[in-house]
Amino acid sequence: MRKAPDDYPGRLRWPRLGQDVAIVAWPSFLVASVATMVCFGFIDPLLIGNDDYPPPAFQTRMAGYAVGFFFFWLIAALSSLMTLYLVRTAHPEPADERIDDGTRSPE
Amino acid sequence: MNEAQAPVDGALYAARQKIYPRDIKGRFQRLRVYAVFALLGLYYVLPWIRWGERQAVLFDLPARKFHIFGLTLWPQDFYFLTWLLIIAALALFFFTALAGRLFCGYACPQTVWTETFVWIERWVEGSRTQQMKLARAPLSGEKILRKGTKYFLWFAFALWTGFTFVGYFTPITELAGKIVTFSTGPWETFWVLFYGGATYVNAGFMREQVCKYMCPYARFQSAMFDRDTLIITYDEKRGEPRGARKKGSDSRAAGLGDCVDCTVCVQVCPTGIDIRKGLQHECIACAACIDACDEVMEKVGYPKGLIRYDTQSGLEGRPKHVLRPRTIVYGSLITLLIAGFAYSITHRNVVAVDVIRDRNALFRELPGGLIENVYSVKILNKDAARHRFSITADGLPGLQVDYGTDAVEVGPGDVQSVAVRLRVPRGELKGGSDIHFTIRTQDERALEATGKARFLAPTN
Repeated sequence: MRKAPDDYPGRLRWPRLGQDVAIVAWPSFLVASVATMVCFGFIDPLLIGNDDYPPPAFQTRMAGYAVGFFFFWLIAALSSLMTLYLVRTAHPEPADERIDDGTRSPE
Repeated sequence: MNEAQAPVDGALYAARQKIYPRDIKGRFQRLRVYAVFALLGLYYVLPWIRWGERQAVLFDLPARKFHIFGLTLWPQDFYFLTWLLIIAALALFFFTALAGRLFCGYACPQTVWTETFVWIERWVEGSRTQQMKLARAPLSGEKILRKGTKYFLWFAFALWTGFTFVGYFTPITELAGKIVTFSTGPWETFWVLFYGGATYVNAGFMREQVCKYMCPYARFQSAMFDRDTLIITYDEKRGEPRGARKKGSDSRAAGLGDCVDCTVCVQVCPTGIDIRKGLQHECIACAACIDACDEVMEKVGYPKGLIRYDTQSGLEGRPKHVLRPRTIVYGSLITLLIAGFAYSITHRNVVAVDVIRDRNALFRELPGGLIENVYSVKILNKDAARHRFSITADGLPGLQVDYGTDAVEVGPGDVQSVAVRLRVPRGELKGGSDIHFTIRTQDERALEATGKARFLAPTN
C-alpha cells in the first residue's frame, strides 16, 4: 500500500497541554538565563541582603546564582503564563469576523 | 539489514508521534557529522585543556572571574560578553540571509545532541524499520534489553554532558575527583543533574518538538529571508506530477515528472515533514532529503538535484545575488563589531578602581576647620604582573589624601581594599561635591584608572 501524501509523521501535533508547558517554560528559561547573566554581572550575590545576617540563599555565591536563576525563571514563567492565557482566551480578531459576516468577499 | 534495501512500503506508516529518521549517507550528511564532531569535540575537550597553572577555559563563578586562555575577564568587563552576544546574533542574521537555516541544520545544540542520541539509538536498536518493529513488538526480554541499553547509554552520555557543563564553572579535574568519591557539593550535583537531565529530555525525547513548538528562531528566521536566500527546495516543475514507474519505461510519455514518489525524503526527515509540500517552518535545513533524493535519482538514472539547495530566484530561473543590500549591511556591521571588539579587548585597561563611601559616618569635623570623609578604595589589578599603586584625588581645593602609606601593592589578578581619608578645609564648601580618585602604577608600566565619588560636608 502506498502512503497517502498527507500522511507523514510531522503533521502530528503535540497535545495542547504539552504545547502550553513548553511555551511557558522554554522562553522563560531563555530569558531567565540572560537575566541571571546580566544581573550577576553587575551584582555580587554576596552583597545582597543585610551584611551581618545574610539570608541563607546568599551565603555562598553559587547558591546565590542558583536562587537568582530560579527566581528569574519563575517570574518570567508567570509572565509567559499570563500572556499565553490572554492569547488563548482572546476573542477572534475582528478581521476573522469580517470575513464571516458575508458583506465582504474573503479576498 | 542494508538501509538502502529497507522495504519502502509498510515501513512508512507511523501514526504515532515519535519520528524515526531513516539513516542516509551523502555529502551533506557527512558535513553534518563533521559539524557534530567539531562542536561536541570542542565542548567535551575544552575544559580539560590547561593554560599554565590553571584550566584554559574556566568561568570561575565563585571567584567572579572568567578565564579564557590568556585572558581574564572581571565583572567590570561584562560588556565584552554583551558585545559578543550581539556579534553572535548578527552573525546568525547574516548567515540566515545568506544560506537560510544553516544554524539549525548544522550547529544548533539541539540538533547536534539530538543527532548523537539518534546515533546511539540506531546503534542499539538498529535501522528505522527495526526500531519501529521493536516499538510495536510486545514486551519481551530482548525488548527490555535493547530499550534498557539505549536508555542507559543515553543517561550516561547525558550525565557526562552535565558533568562537562559544570566543568566550565568549577575546575574539572577537581570536579572529576569529587565525582569519583561521591563528594560533590550540593549545587555541583544539582547542576550536573539539571543540565544532564535537560540534555536527556531534549535530545532523547523532545527532539524536533523543540524546534516546532519552543524555538523562537524557527518562527522569526523567515523575516531574514529574501528571494536570494538559500533554502532547501523541491523542484516542483521538474518533479510533478509524481508517481511510481516501471524501470526503463518512458515517464515523460506517461506524463510523469521526475519524482518517483518513493517517500524516502519523508522517511529521512528528522522533523517528519514532506519537503515536497514547499518551504515549511518545521524544516531545520539538515539537507537529509537532498542526500536521500540524490541517491534515489542516481539509482533510477535521473539527474541529481530534484531536491536541492537553491534560492527562490534560482528556482524561477533568474540570476542569483549573493551580494545585496541585506548581506552587505549585515556583513559590514559584523566586521565593524568584530574589529572594535578585538581592538578594545586588546587595549582594555587592566587596572580599575572602585570607590565606596564609608557607610557609618557622613563626615567628620576635625579641629582646624577640616572636614574628613572616609572611603574604601578597591584597586583591581587585572594584569599578569604585580604593581605598586599611588592614590590621588582631585575636585576640591586643598584636598589632602591619607591612606597610611605611600604605595599600595596589588598582586596579579588581585583586588586590594584600602581605607582612604580625604580632608578638605571647610572654606566655602556646603553640602557635597563630586570628586575623583585616581590610581597610578609606580613602576615601569604606566597604568591608571579613575573612579568617581561624592565628598559630603555640613549643609550650614
